[in-house]
Amino acid sequence: MSFSTVNSELFIGFFENVKLFGITLLFALPLGLIIAFGSMSKFSPVKLLTRGFVWIIRGTPLMLQLFVVFYVPGLLFDIRFPGSNPRMTAAAIAFVINYACYFSEIYRGGIESIPKGQYEAGQVLGMTKTQVFFKVILLQVIKRIVPPMSNEFMTLIKDTSLARVIAVADIIMVAGKFSARGIIWPLFYTALFFLVFCGLMTVIFGRIEKRLDYFKA
Amino acid sequence: MNKKVLALVLAIVMMLSFAACGGNGGDTTTAAGDTTAAGETTAAEDATAEAGESDLAYIQNKGEMVIGYTLFAPMNYEDDNGELTGFETEFAKAVCKELGVTPKFQLIVWDSKETELKSKSIDCIWNGMTINDDLEKNLSISTPYMANKQVLIVKKENADKYLKAEDMKNANIVAEKGSAGERTAQTNEFFAGANYTAVEDQQTALMEVFGNKADGCVVDYVLSIGMIGEGTSYEDLVVVDSLAFEPEQYGIAFRKGSDVTAKVNEAITKLVESGELQKIAEKYKLAEQIIAK
Repeated sequence: MSFSTVNSELFIGFFENVKLFGITLLFALPLGLIIAFGSMSKFSPVKLLTRGFVWIIRGTPLMLQLFVVFYVPGLLFDIRFPGSNPRMTAAAIAFVINYACYFSEIYRGGIESIPKGQYEAGQVLGMTKTQVFFKVILLQVIKRIVPPMSNEFMTLIKDTSLARVIAVADIIMVAGKFSARGIIWPLFYTALFFLVFCGLMTVIFGRIEKRLDYFKA
Repeated sequence: MNKKVLALVLAIVMMLSFAACGGNGGDTTTAAGDTTAAGETTAAEDATAEAGESDLAYIQNKGEMVIGYTLFAPMNYEDDNGELTGFETEFAKAVCKELGVTPKFQLIVWDSKETELKSKSIDCIWNGMTINDDLEKNLSISTPYMANKQVLIVKKENADKYLKAEDMKNANIVAEKGSAGERTAQTNEFFAGANYTAVEDQQTALMEVFGNKADGCVVDYVLSIGMIGEGTSYEDLVVVDSLAFEPEQYGIAFRKGSDVTAKVNEAITKLVESGELQKIAEKYKLAEQIIAK
């Protein structure tokens, strides 16, 4: 088993991790904001319902959620999970919901940390509520949530390998294929992929923080 | 005064939210309960499904049989070109040809095999599966086609060290959790004096012995043929030849009550009669293990 074969197979596996990472962020970031608004709603049924949902998702293992999304439709309703790549689709649904809930709390923390004076200043200038949120508040929120978000992003890329419990052929699962043939070093070598990816994210997040440094909130 | 009112209001809000949470929690458990209950009914329905669309018709309509497997040389493994091959792979292809369906191999997680099967994510488990009472009760199993046994694997230099039950005193033994090897290590008198630890899978068990974390591991004989010895990371591991535990048999699993099982049994008989099964087995040095007639 040559180094380059192992490498190219692991890259194919890692592409699955990155794909899941990308899809999750694409949908969970906006969905998280919607959930955050729900849990801050002044209409208490919406608020309680949203917070109950967040509690369930944050309070149960992601692994279990993967099982539920992928297997329960077949077990309960006798239908196969649809799509050309059902395992990846199921994993993406579970990850988007799970991460959106975590993101929502980060958003909520960010939004609630903005002093009342900022809203009042906007109102004094004659802005509508929506204008105040998007033109005054949001950028300050983004600045404040960058560090906790970078935590979540790094957790996410490593969490994606959990999708192998429903047999998404991620990098760890590919490495497992080599172990099954008695070759064990690729499993440990996968660490390098995650390390490089997280290193890149650290650099990117550092840049973002620097760019947002032009105003002090 | 104001503070007291505020505290009271907060307390009420908290109680309400707990009540709401409790309500939600109740829902979840009910849902979970429903899941298992429904899981069982689905299984029960499967048993009587022949009246409606049979499992065979379902597979024939799809034109493909999804075969759940894990990588496990020499049964199912990837060759140097990344092509899936192995005894079970070729055997499954031959049977599917008899049935007139296309085999579609799906890598699964072994712990979830029953769930995969019941949720129709796969149509059969075909992976050197040891037949036991629990599996026979919950799934439909083909006629046994291969014999196997559990063996003790140790480092080459210890090959003569572990021959009698007394030799096992305080020896550290590992096996895959939930495997036949685990049962042997925990219940066989031979291992009575040994310290047993369960590990994630058979590879890990070998790794533990290889890395001197354990003195020996109890694994499947068929598996050990492909995983240890020359050309692997485990060159200095050997099977203790004089020991054999728990003779067992391999079978293919289908959904409970499935009519595919009988069809596959017929196909196996045909392959035995034509000598094709024996030929495939010889290719993987498993000819002596074949028991299908």
